[in-house]
Amino acid sequence: MTTYQFFTTAWRWNSTLLLFCALALVGYFLAFRRRGRPAYVGAALVVFLFALISPVNALADGYLFSAHMVQHILLVLIVPALLLLSLPRSFALPRPLTAFTHPFMGWIAGVGAMWLWHAPALCNAATTSRTVSAIQTTSLLLMGSVFWWQVLAPHDAERLSPAAGIVYLFTACTACSILGIILTFAPVSICSVYQHPVDRLGMLGTIRGSWGLTSERDQQIGGLLMWVPMCLIYLTAILAQLARWHSDPVPQTEESNA
Amino acid sequence: MNAATATATLATVLDPAERGHHRLAWLSTVDHKRIAILYLLTGLFFFVIGGLEALLMRLQLAVPNNHFLQPDTYNQLFTMHGTTMIFLVVMPLSFGLVNYFLPLQIGARDMAFPRLNALGFWLVPFGGILLHFSVLAGGAPAVGWFSYTPLSETPYSSTLGVDYWAVALFVLGIGSISFAINTIATVISRRAPGMTMRRLPLFTWINFVNAFIIILALPVLNAGLAMLLIDRQLEGHFFLPFHGGSAVLWQHIFWAFGHPEVYIMVLPAFGIVSEVIPVFSRKPIFGYEFVAGSTVAIAILSMSVWGHHMFTVGMGRAADSFFAITSLLIAIPTGVKVLSWTATMLGGRIRFDVPMLCCIAFLIQFLCAGITGISHAVVPLDWQTKNSYFLIAHFHFVVAGGILFALMAGVQYWFPKMSGRMLSERLGKWAFWLMVLGFNMTFIIQHFLGLYGMPRRVFTYPDLPHWAWMNMLSTAGAFFMAAASLILVWNLVVSFFRGKIAGDNPWNAWTLEWATTSPPPHENFDALPPIRSRRPLWDIANPDRPDPVVGKDTSEIESPDKNKVGILTFILSEAGFFAVLLLAYLFFYARPQPGPGPRELAVERTLVFSLCLFASSFTFWRSEIALSKRHRGSMLGWLALTIALGGVFLIGQGIEYWKLFQTGVDVSTNLFATTFFTLTGFHGLHVLFGLVALLIFLWLAWQGDFALGRVSAFAAAGYYWHFVDIVWVFVLLTVYILPLLR
Repeated sequence: MTTYQFFTTAWRWNSTLLLFCALALVGYFLAFRRRGRPAYVGAALVVFLFALISPVNALADGYLFSAHMVQHILLVLIVPALLLLSLPRSFALPRPLTAFTHPFMGWIAGVGAMWLWHAPALCNAATTSRTVSAIQTTSLLLMGSVFWWQVLAPHDAERLSPAAGIVYLFTACTACSILGIILTFAPVSICSVYQHPVDRLGMLGTIRGSWGLTSERDQQIGGLLMWVPMCLIYLTAILAQLARWHSDPVPQTEESNA
Repeated sequence: MNAATATATLATVLDPAERGHHRLAWLSTVDHKRIAILYLLTGLFFFVIGGLEALLMRLQLAVPNNHFLQPDTYNQLFTMHGTTMIFLVVMPLSFGLVNYFLPLQIGARDMAFPRLNALGFWLVPFGGILLHFSVLAGGAPAVGWFSYTPLSETPYSSTLGVDYWAVALFVLGIGSISFAINTIATVISRRAPGMTMRRLPLFTWINFVNAFIIILALPVLNAGLAMLLIDRQLEGHFFLPFHGGSAVLWQHIFWAFGHPEVYIMVLPAFGIVSEVIPVFSRKPIFGYEFVAGSTVAIAILSMSVWGHHMFTVGMGRAADSFFAITSLLIAIPTGVKVLSWTATMLGGRIRFDVPMLCCIAFLIQFLCAGITGISHAVVPLDWQTKNSYFLIAHFHFVVAGGILFALMAGVQYWFPKMSGRMLSERLGKWAFWLMVLGFNMTFIIQHFLGLYGMPRRVFTYPDLPHWAWMNMLSTAGAFFMAAASLILVWNLVVSFFRGKIAGDNPWNAWTLEWATTSPPPHENFDALPPIRSRRPLWDIANPDRPDPVVGKDTSEIESPDKNKVGILTFILSEAGFFAVLLLAYLFFYARPQPGPGPRELAVERTLVFSLCLFASSFTFWRSEIALSKRHRGSMLGWLALTIALGGVFLIGQGIEYWKLFQTGVDVSTNLFATTFFTLTGFHGLHVLFGLVALLIFLWLAWQGDFALGRVSAFAAAGYYWHFVDIVWVFVLLTVYILPLLR
């Protein structure tokens, strides 16, 4: 299969996912009506669908570790962040869920989502088994949401203070960078499924040949994706914290009570 | 300036009561202002040495096929020149200015930990002496300031030069880290009422951020140096390829430190420029928030761009592309700063005094340095120019054209405050223009030399077209720089004795250091002005149109406990150190070598002894509770138990080592043994230091020192002890548990 054929045909129109997204959208409008921020929820669903039905998903499904990493980053960092941003200011978290709003919990969830799913056994299982893959997707979204809650909760009072937020984000960035560095420089394959893919789509020749992605280089790109672009996402969030800190004193008074 | 005049000079600024023992007064001082002067004088002294080394090299290169210096001497000179200028000139000079003016700018009486401050300073001359002692011990290091392996390993550098180099840098690294801890603790917990974090002068803010880079980057170097020393002294195998080691690993470790180091040197310069340009443009800085925020962006990005030093190593196209992108990105926050400075000057009533002239030269030259720097982010171009004089020209534009000019600006801007006297403008302008002329003569032409193909690190060159006159021009320029430096030093000395009396605020500046006498009294301030904005002295001088109040209009500030801040930052640096050792262990674990491996280790026994260590964290916590309830006996008991448990753990480690030695396994056996003993050995050392600290506390408590229930220092020791236990969790998981999962 050529590259062009691949990118035009490898879209997997998964009806369950589409239905789920449609229901989520309807639910969102029913719950928040005019108070919602539809742009964010729309963006979240588009990114979510892109991660799971586009050729990225086809590549992540056993071909390329780096494609899996793109998917991973979108699901754990981008989609949950957009979802939290879509919540109206008046949104109140249901009481049982407030157990997840401790900063320590958030940090562990964010960093754990990276480390846990890259343990060789889990990484392989998530690629080979549909059930594990579904669990992975769900858990990434949940853990990502718990992580971002500290920074993007709808109420200023529920967020960390800017200084604490910077520490929170920077340490998380460091912890993920270390994993990225390990993946980049590891002389062995971390997720061995990707070493000898089952060539379901007849793409392997193109990937290894004209794309020039050997399994070593593929893992290296995966590691670098976790290390560099992910750090840039955290860095953006850190700069947003600084902007919040330097903004006018009105929100400051709220924060000091937080 | 010889020693006798130096001491006499310094004696004049002593209190009358101290004149009788002035030598000791300076040697034993813990006053931040005096320590700062010592830093500055040490930096100046090594600047002369490093400068002479540069002149010798330029003389050798003045004409083709020269035999003025031996090749090996030349190699020693460029190694010593680089190491000296970075670690013994730029860092001490900027640390000196920070040490003097950061506490003054925030209205503090001193640094948070005055004695730690003195330690940090005295490690500089100690490190300098260690480095230069190598000359007597068989020859200075001749491997470049980056000391690439395997050239710096015993088979290729058999004299002690590299060992002295490594130990010296280790010592200097500890000094820098202690300085950074002190800076952070000072800013966080020693600010005057009203000086909120948002009102910090930019010099203080930038150096506060810079301290974090130091905390995170220097331990990486120190871990690398420890590994290099283990290779050289104990026949380890970290960086020796023929025993499975990785020479490229050294480059990764070195540049993971080395690139942040560039920012460690340049951020203080940014801080100085951000103070001087507004004052001499008579305008507040344009975009304070952007200058402050871009500093944070630079700090974080600086940690993930080191790969651009290694494009020529062959990391592969994937890694090259990512590092190229981050290297290009870092130009954005730097560009934001340059924009802010130029916009500050725009429309200002600029006064062209010498400090301002230096800053303008800095701006132009640093911009050139930045543009050639960006060009090195482009991988193919980098391949062509990396090992040529183009690169030499680039980084001298950064270090000399940028940092040195900013330091000149800083020293001349603040000299009136430090000495109470003005510098001579006439001599200052001579020195400035000679320096501009000399610097540009020396280094602009080197760009073209590099493009004409002259490689770096060569002691001489053939008589190819144009090379001879270009090199001669460059050498001539170096002598202009030397002349400028002489005039600068002469100006400092003469003005110190005969300069015009400066008064409190000769430049009409706005930050707090100008609100006290010149030089400031021992306790810095008699009374502080109210602080409601970033320019308190402007507000006093212009009561009818003060700056808008920054943040809430209150003088309340939070000042957390300095012991807690200090120990937490120290732990941060230690975590960096252990992270490097752990990563190195994992890196070699992933490709096992023949010989002993993790299966030789006694997992069950170690688990039992580990439990003792973990239990000691619990007992320490009990002891802390007892202290807060003032149960002296119970506190002593729990503390003694903590020490006993820590001791038992060390005995367990001793047994492990003994059994391994019995079967003939030691550091030099293979890479597993090298990494294992390094990682667990350093952890053991930390446990040992922790035990010594706890024993001191036990003794103090026994003497009744904690009868008043002062828990802060005790809690700080506790943080450290818990940290050592947490490190062991990671070591245990990596070394003992991970192999079981395979």
